[in-house]
Amino acid sequence: MHAPAPVRCDPGFTIWPPVLAAWVLAFLLALPSQAWAVQAHGQSEGWLVHQLAHILFMIALIFLLTVLHRRPPGVGRPWKMLKLSLFLFLLWNIDTITVHWLASRLPEGAVDQCAELADRHIHLPASSLWLFYYMGSLDHLLCVPAIVFLFLSLRGFAAETGQPRMEDGKG
Amino acid sequence: MMSDMLHLPLLPVYLVDAVGSALMIFFAIASMLEARRLLRRDPQNVLWAFFFWLTITLCALAISRSFWHLLRFFFLMAGKEIEWRQLAPFSGSINTLAFCAVAMSIFYYHSAEKVIATVRRDADLLRQAHRELAAAHEATRQLNQTLEERVERRTHALRVSEEKFRSLFEASKDMIFFCDREGRICDINDSGLDLLAFPSRDQVVGRPLGELFPSPAVYEQFAMTLAQQGHVKDFEVQLTGGTGAPRCFLLTTTAITNAQGEVQGCETIAIDFSHIKEVTAQLIQSEKMTSVGQLAAGVAHEINTPLGIILGYTQLLAEDFVDNQEVSETLGIIEKQTKICRRIVADLLKFSHPAVEQAMRPDDVNKCLVEVLAIVEHTLNMDHIFIHRCLAQSLPQVMLDAERLRQVFVNLINNAHYAIGNEGIIGVWSRHLVEEQEVEVIVADTGAGIPPEVQNRIFDPFFTTKGVGKGTGLGLSVSFGIVKDHGGRIEAFSPPRDPELLAVDMHTAFHIRLPVLRRQPDQEE
Repeated sequence: MHAPAPVRCDPGFTIWPPVLAAWVLAFLLALPSQAWAVQAHGQSEGWLVHQLAHILFMIALIFLLTVLHRRPPGVGRPWKMLKLSLFLFLLWNIDTITVHWLASRLPEGAVDQCAELADRHIHLPASSLWLFYYMGSLDHLLCVPAIVFLFLSLRGFAAETGQPRMEDGKG
Repeated sequence: MMSDMLHLPLLPVYLVDAVGSALMIFFAIASMLEARRLLRRDPQNVLWAFFFWLTITLCALAISRSFWHLLRFFFLMAGKEIEWRQLAPFSGSINTLAFCAVAMSIFYYHSAEKVIATVRRDADLLRQAHRELAAAHEATRQLNQTLEERVERRTHALRVSEEKFRSLFEASKDMIFFCDREGRICDINDSGLDLLAFPSRDQVVGRPLGELFPSPAVYEQFAMTLAQQGHVKDFEVQLTGGTGAPRCFLLTTTAITNAQGEVQGCETIAIDFSHIKEVTAQLIQSEKMTSVGQLAAGVAHEINTPLGIILGYTQLLAEDFVDNQEVSETLGIIEKQTKICRRIVADLLKFSHPAVEQAMRPDDVNKCLVEVLAIVEHTLNMDHIFIHRCLAQSLPQVMLDAERLRQVFVNLINNAHYAIGNEGIIGVWSRHLVEEQEVEVIVADTGAGIPPEVQNRIFDPFFTTKGVGKGTGLGLSVSFGIVKDHGGRIEAFSPPRDPELLAVDMHTAFHIRLPVLRRQPDQEE
């Protein structure tokens, strides 16, 4: 088990790419249309931006997984858990993007509008695609394990750094 | 138519959504706290900083998303779906922002990785430099240790060598000295001081070597040979030391030169061969005496018979001319001179003939001396010459022919008497030399002494300083032969060698040394 690389950062180092962050913030604030998460998004602009955000998240996850695979900064159980967490987040993004796309094509009146939430049903065409939509709506079954593995990974790092170092320690 | 539709309950979706949202918030916050703990433990760790910012953005995502999901349930359960539809765009927008923030924080890993790589490279370089420094330090330490060991080893070898040569220099029984380029003695060993009779080194160091030489010409010859050849081997010279008495030395000298070949001085080993020279002279004398003795014996044997005939006929004629006084006196002179000749011949025969073994027997030398002194003392006293006796008690016995040994003592005392003339002292000593296992008899006198130029000839046959008719020159020769027959030796010193004899004003001393009788075990029994 190797401890994660304890890299020293320059105190003057800027963590956020400020220009890019400002640009993204300005872009999003310039689109005050409706946006829907798992729930349906009415306006196509908000829906499109939301999907793009998911894609950006996916690209970031793919990027990090690739980097960790090609240039692993360490080996051991915490790193494996971190990779698993990223992979689950990646699956979750795929799931949510798909569900968002299917939700935009949901037939009119597919969801009951009765007052009792427990009695509500959804009426979907009998196909595997809409069955996947129903199952994909349970997206927390992916994102919750992902965040749990991230938590376990960090705990693993903390446990390792708390132990006496076998090598020279940091780096 | 209705059979082609799926009628699925939404309750599982709502439950998973609600519980999952709560769990997402919980674990997102827990992850952020864990990352913060890591960063606090090691604030300068860029990886922990990355995780910290990642968990913050994930936390923001989880809270915003889950908050809006839960809020939606409240609106739906309250039957206010229209109001929720007005709030829903805000929920989606904030979720979008949170996604982007998470993505940005993940992309930040690229920069973090660069920092990690840079720091690792620097750390590797630092580690490498540290290793090289440690290796250099170790090499330096080993070099120092090696140097120390080498220096210590060389110093020890140098000390051993110095001690060895110092011991050789100081313990040598030969004289060893060093001179500087001006030819002044700069160091000399103890044997040199003893041989040159200098009481201290200060009296020698700084003294020019030439002053010890017998003459400047001899030193010039020595120095020239040294300058030309770089060394001098077996240079025979008499060096004069502190007492002024010269001693014979064989000098072997080597010039000391520097790297440029310039002469810096010289080192000399001087072998004292005074004793060897003395023994050699005695050997030559002995050989000469032996040759003379053989010659004399031959001549004496041939002359003895005619002398007997001349003496016999002279006595016969003397009986015939008893009445003629003039002839009788002439014949008497012939008879007297013939008898003198026969005595000389007899002495020559005694000188040359070896001792008869049958006449040699163990006896006390003192006894012979006492008998001789008893005979000659009266005659000596008439010329006011007195005898000083100093005879050792209980001398060991010597194998001797008493009659011939008495003749030796008589000859020596007669010579002393002649040297003194009137008024003087003749000293007689006897002693046992334990180390040499010899008995020594010294006969010394206060006479005129022996001139140095004749000292080497006094034992030659027919050499005499007495007037014509007063001596035959055979006394000491005969004595030399007799002592030699006894296995001993006789030496003459004028002035005497012993300070004790000089103290009592003796001018000449004859030393006779005879070997002590060594009894065989059966003889002792």
